[in-house]
Amino acid sequence: MLFNPKSFFSKNQSSVKLLKRVVLISFSLLLLVLFNYQITKGSYYLRRAQNNYVRVIPLYSLRGSIFDRNGVVLAKDMASFNLAVFPYQIKNKKDSLFKKISQDLGLDQKIIYKNYKKNLRGFFSPTNIVTNISKKKALHLKEAYPKSLSINPTPQRKYLRPLETAHILGYVKKASSLKKQLKKYGYKPLERIGIYGIEQYYDSYLKGKNGGDLIEVDAAGNVVGFLGRKRAYRGKDIYLTIDSRAQEIAKKSLNKRKGTIIFLDSNSGEIITLYSSPSFDPNLFIKGKDLGSIYKNKASPLINRATQSTFPVGSLIKPLLAIAGLQENKIKPTTTFNCKGHLVLGSNRFKCWGTHGVQDLYQALAHSCNIYFYKLGLIIGPKKISSWAKKFGLDSKTFIDLPYEKKGFVPSPQWKKDKFNQSWYAGDTLNLSIGQGYLHTTPLAITLAINSIANQGYLVEPILLKEVEDAEASLAFRRTLNIAGENLKIVKKGLRKTVNQSSGTARILKNLSLEISGKTGTAQTSGRSHGWFVGFFPYKQPKYTISVFLENGGSSHQALRIAYSFLDKLKRNNIIK
Amino acid sequence: MNFLKRISKEFTGLKTIVLSLVLLNLISIASLYSSLHQQGQFVGGDFFSKQLTWIAFSWIVFIIFNFINYRLYYNLSFIIYTLSIILIGAVYFTGHEAMGAQRWLSIGGFSFQPSELSKLAIIIVMARFFSHPPANNFLKDFFLPFSFVGLSAFIIFSQPDLGTAIMVILIAFAIGLFSKVNKKYFVWVLIAVLIAAPFSWTFLKSYQKKRLTAFVNPNIDPLGSGYTIIQSKIAIGSGQVFGKGFLAGTQNQFNFLPERHTDFIFTVIAEEWGFLGSLFLLFIYWLIIKKIFDRLKKIRDPFAYYLTVGIGIYFFLHVFINIGMTLGIFPVVGLPLLFVSYGGSHLISSFILLGIFFNISRNYK
Repeated sequence: MLFNPKSFFSKNQSSVKLLKRVVLISFSLLLLVLFNYQITKGSYYLRRAQNNYVRVIPLYSLRGSIFDRNGVVLAKDMASFNLAVFPYQIKNKKDSLFKKISQDLGLDQKIIYKNYKKNLRGFFSPTNIVTNISKKKALHLKEAYPKSLSINPTPQRKYLRPLETAHILGYVKKASSLKKQLKKYGYKPLERIGIYGIEQYYDSYLKGKNGGDLIEVDAAGNVVGFLGRKRAYRGKDIYLTIDSRAQEIAKKSLNKRKGTIIFLDSNSGEIITLYSSPSFDPNLFIKGKDLGSIYKNKASPLINRATQSTFPVGSLIKPLLAIAGLQENKIKPTTTFNCKGHLVLGSNRFKCWGTHGVQDLYQALAHSCNIYFYKLGLIIGPKKISSWAKKFGLDSKTFIDLPYEKKGFVPSPQWKKDKFNQSWYAGDTLNLSIGQGYLHTTPLAITLAINSIANQGYLVEPILLKEVEDAEASLAFRRTLNIAGENLKIVKKGLRKTVNQSSGTARILKNLSLEISGKTGTAQTSGRSHGWFVGFFPYKQPKYTISVFLENGGSSHQALRIAYSFLDKLKRNNIIK
Repeated sequence: MNFLKRISKEFTGLKTIVLSLVLLNLISIASLYSSLHQQGQFVGGDFFSKQLTWIAFSWIVFIIFNFINYRLYYNLSFIIYTLSIILIGAVYFTGHEAMGAQRWLSIGGFSFQPSELSKLAIIIVMARFFSHPPANNFLKDFFLPFSFVGLSAFIIFSQPDLGTAIMVILIAFAIGLFSKVNKKYFVWVLIAVLIAAPFSWTFLKSYQKKRLTAFVNPNIDPLGSGYTIIQSKIAIGSGQVFGKGFLAGTQNQFNFLPERHTDFIFTVIAEEWGFLGSLFLLFIYWLIIKKIFDRLKKIRDPFAYYLTVGIGIYFFLHVFINIGMTLGIFPVVGLPLLFVSYGGSHLISSFILLGIFFNISRNYK
């Protein structure tokens, strides 16, 4: 429908007038205020501008420290000593001063000039010309040039377990080294801001509040008065759920091989260990040194493989498929399929890794029999498998409190049609049923999916924050998957057999006598296969969930050995009982 | 000569605006040049040359938009809107690199702020909705158009860019008040929003609360925004009637004013050119806005009508709120001064809007 042009345009004339009047009145208001400032009070403001220049010298706050669950310090601020000048004080003697200092320190004069230029923020701000020198040297120079130099101790971040916790903690950078737009958010150029990890995620807790000295300077630039100080407030301390001893054991167990170890409280989702290998030293970012070794490393140490990379999961999908089959009433635990070592579908042969004979669900899980799960997958159908994989969170974020988390991907017939304009083949269903093909997810997401079998069917939200100084933090969150308790018990029993049955795929873990249940996985890729193990213990009421992932590790066997060594050391060190 | 005559005829009644624009460009260049000085030294780096590039580029964009028939935006309104949502969404997801400041998308060496585009999109979408007679139905007349506004504002707000989010809502609301939609809807909604605000917290999911607790709260200055405002007032006031002269503003030259080349550029002008300079600047703005609203009586297409209303309101609000902010009338939100502040995004979108207006004007002479 359209307006009747005649009435529409004639009636509007009065509101146009009103609009113009609003503009005129608003502008007049601005003029009135301007008149008041510039003419009525003009000489007053001019006097203020001429006589008293008020200047702020920022005082930077100390960042809060980060501790592990036992109160071990992981990151804290330490003093670093810098020599600074106030540009307005050295106006004419800059060159001679810099020359003398460079001679005293044996430092190239160019570096001093470079620092001066880089750190210059204004004529009344302390400007660092020599950074990071020993306290002794700093005091010595201050004595030699008491009028021109000042010692400017600034806090520097120090990571005490750098390699063990790099991916969890992240690091800090000076805001000035980032984009200038940060200034809009109240960051001062020299203020440090959390980049990556906990330092970034909880930056608002850690950063504290900057203060400043308010000084008066005259038109010549001399300080004529001290108006006041607004003190800086230290940031809040943060306690994490991780155990630094376990982080160290994880680091040793992986021994620089590409992969992850995740160890968490099955019920609360508290992360006790989250280690991604290879790791990096965040202290290098603080010092700005040797960063090439991090960036050039082909193993991409900066990536947190547990949350930022996705991989095919291989047989880890089988327990989830088993639950789907039971929930959808497609099978009973006693249903059997016969494994002859391969399955013929059209002109293709789909292999099993062994010839298992007649298998029920328990045996199929214990042996990780592909044929059983091929057939189960065909019965359930790709749409249902896809929707169950999504229900288990394989294509969503886990909402762990770390930035830049990636989510996985779960294929479906509709997706394949939209994306490749191809129909979904039975072969695709077979691949999906053993965790190959299009499906890929993060190690953390698949760990939490299997963890739901350990904790009566809850998808927990993983959490790294245990406590913030002076603040209540109750962040546990979990979501029920509405799976019948009976079905969970059946699958749990099957997963127990992988360890305690002599033919089980994870039997080497039996020696640990921790009553572990779990599932191995070997995921084929274009390169060497990925090795997986995810398990939980003790059997009756699981308390802990462990997951080991080895990128291009060859097979699940390697992952199992690492899981063994990790858990064994946790036990020996009394971290678990 | 014939060609020039034809051009001149084509732009009847628009020459004042072109002249004003050139003046604003010159003012912008001069005040930017001055604001990039500290104690007589130029400290601007590549800011100055960048801005010159932006201005030149904006004129090209302006000329191009002169020749695009404005009815095209009617047909493309929802596509433009969707594009704006995708772009601001893209910043939200990919702009993470900038750590907490996610407003910029970087193309080449220049970064662009897509939330500027969404102001433009909102004006076009609102003009389309209100160009049809209202159905006297709350859902159709009010809820539908304003859900578009709400979505844009919400995404911009979470970037986080409170200033632009408020601006989007204000512009849309102002166009809405000018439309034929029953005004009582606006009153209802205002009341509903005031009542609902405190309750919305309970509806957030735990992880959302978690995110919100970790949300970086932008505070403006270590000694409170009061410092900026006091310095701004001293700068403006000390300019008195005639100003201190070009490059002679002491407040400016001694680095007392933060953000003086962007959001606080007006203080530089007022300090160096005094009350007369400020008066002159306001007069130019008033002239442009008046010329825009004057055109309304000739327009015979409701869509063009509301586009023009939107463009005028956009210009007016930007000038009024920015200058009001430097004078301490409004709280300090990040908002540039129309056509004058440093920065390319707002400059280009203002020029685009003016280009659209010129095209409308040439259709309704």
